[in-house]
Amino acid sequence: MNINSLIEKTELSIGFMSLTDSAPLIVAKEMGFFEKWGLSINLQKQHSWATLRDKVHAGILDAAQMLSPMPIASNYGLDCVKTKVVAPLVLSRNGNAITLSKQLYQVIKNQHIQEPYTSDVPLSASYLKEEVATRKILGNKIKLGVVFSYSCHYYQLVSWLQAGGINPEDVDIIIIPPANMVAAMADGEIDGYCVGGPWNTMAVREKVGFTGITSLDIWPGTPEKVLGLLQEFQEKNPKTVQALIMALQEACDWLEIIPNRFEAARLLTSHQYLNTSLDNIAPSLLGSCLTFYNESPRYIPSYNQFSLFNDRVGNCPDTIDGTMLVKYMKLAGHINDENQPSLSVRDIYCSEIYHQTLENFSQ
Amino acid sequence: MMSSKTLSLPNDKVKVLLVENNKHKANDFMNALDDSNYHIVQVSNSGVSLLKEVDVFIPDVIIIDIESPDRDMLDSLNKISKSAPKPVVMFSDQENTELINLLVKSGVTAYVAGGVDPRRVRSILDTAIARFTQYQGLKQELATTKQKLSNQRVVEQAKLWLIQNKNLSEQDAYHSMRKMAMDNGQRIEDVAKNILSLATMFEGTS
Repeated sequence: MNINSLIEKTELSIGFMSLTDSAPLIVAKEMGFFEKWGLSINLQKQHSWATLRDKVHAGILDAAQMLSPMPIASNYGLDCVKTKVVAPLVLSRNGNAITLSKQLYQVIKNQHIQEPYTSDVPLSASYLKEEVATRKILGNKIKLGVVFSYSCHYYQLVSWLQAGGINPEDVDIIIIPPANMVAAMADGEIDGYCVGGPWNTMAVREKVGFTGITSLDIWPGTPEKVLGLLQEFQEKNPKTVQALIMALQEACDWLEIIPNRFEAARLLTSHQYLNTSLDNIAPSLLGSCLTFYNESPRYIPSYNQFSLFNDRVGNCPDTIDGTMLVKYMKLAGHINDENQPSLSVRDIYCSEIYHQTLENFSQ
Repeated sequence: MMSSKTLSLPNDKVKVLLVENNKHKANDFMNALDDSNYHIVQVSNSGVSLLKEVDVFIPDVIIIDIESPDRDMLDSLNKISKSAPKPVVMFSDQENTELINLLVKSGVTAYVAGGVDPRRVRSILDTAIARFTQYQGLKQELATTKQKLSNQRVVEQAKLWLIQNKNLSEQDAYHSMRKMAMDNGQRIEDVAKNILSLATMFEGTS
């Protein structure tokens, strides 16, 4: 079928943030997959998740790379006007990590020096217990950065703290855009953060941080970034959305081939994309999690996961995944049953559009 | 004792924190607000220190570029800052009326679009502060109403428990709760809460 003649809107603006897992969008653009599916895409770099969301709501961006809880937050109207946003494709899974400042790492190491040696990684938050308590008494709570309130980063950080017996109320969790994280920690403004690549690798390279644990160790296989767009846009432009899904699926599959990962890393370094060195971008794409200066990296094959090759389940927005995210949003008190009539996750994490697209265009 | 307000502001001007990396744009704002009731106390560069600056300078209003990465940080402002919530005015170089309308509808911020026109900036700041004050008032009112409703519910439940378990009439149940409240110098909803927690305790043991 010649999709080109059916597409309602061929020129689209798509928003992304400077993150390693924006790779599917950048690869689809640079390797010609968008073009192949009849789309002319203008990728627009955004600097703030809230602004990215508002631009999608207002129709200034036709679609965007979104944090996986973001479409749910939009439908519930959390910190924004209640807006119907759908996620017809999962762009990536995993990819986040928790990095502590060199200073905090040294303090907790000294506090546990007497204990029998156990591996530092993956780090349990219980190692932080003593320091969290001390800093609370001193009136100078430990400050940890996350990129957005309604993000896996926030929920993963809270889960990690709780699993280590720490009450999240005993630390300050503050919102900092990804690109400012490393500088904030180097300046001593925060003691650690949960962020996606390349910002964990960069902290280790710049000798300011210790990456203790990845999101894969906390919640393996969680959808991290999704394609988000207005439900209204999807209804008006169904073929356009299908073409978009096919082009991005092709990019995700392409990214599953390891030799392609290095080439992707090179594409991402460019000024209009991540604007940082290959040294910072390549490791996580190749399954390497740097931990600390002069230490051997951890080998984490699915650190950045874009698809399960030959298994389309990986990119399908699944109701189970959506329901799990809603559960964590409720646990964090972000969604309150009393005030919020329950929404159908199936309408947001929309597997139907995805399946229909593959049926139409796969042989 | 002098409050920080009288200390730094002789004329009781409205304090503005401007978050802007671009010097030209910052200058435009300074000029636009020159000779006005607004006083820019600090021009902040992008970075985490923004939260610290809010605590140090205690601005009455914050102006920020919509494209600034610091936009997200302002979200945590109300959670972490020691000072009260602030009106935030965002500006955009583009004339995106649709975006502006949408964001203003959300009720917490005002938007400046297009160039920095001195007369417009002042009136937009005036509107933003007025709107914010009104919004905070409504929020407070909503919280109070909710609290009232929940108090009423607790009192009703306790009354019902007394009627069912102590064979009291509705009026007697209410009177006995009111008497307990007066005798102990408590509010009636606190008495109701005590009754209900005792009731659950008894139900748990029986």
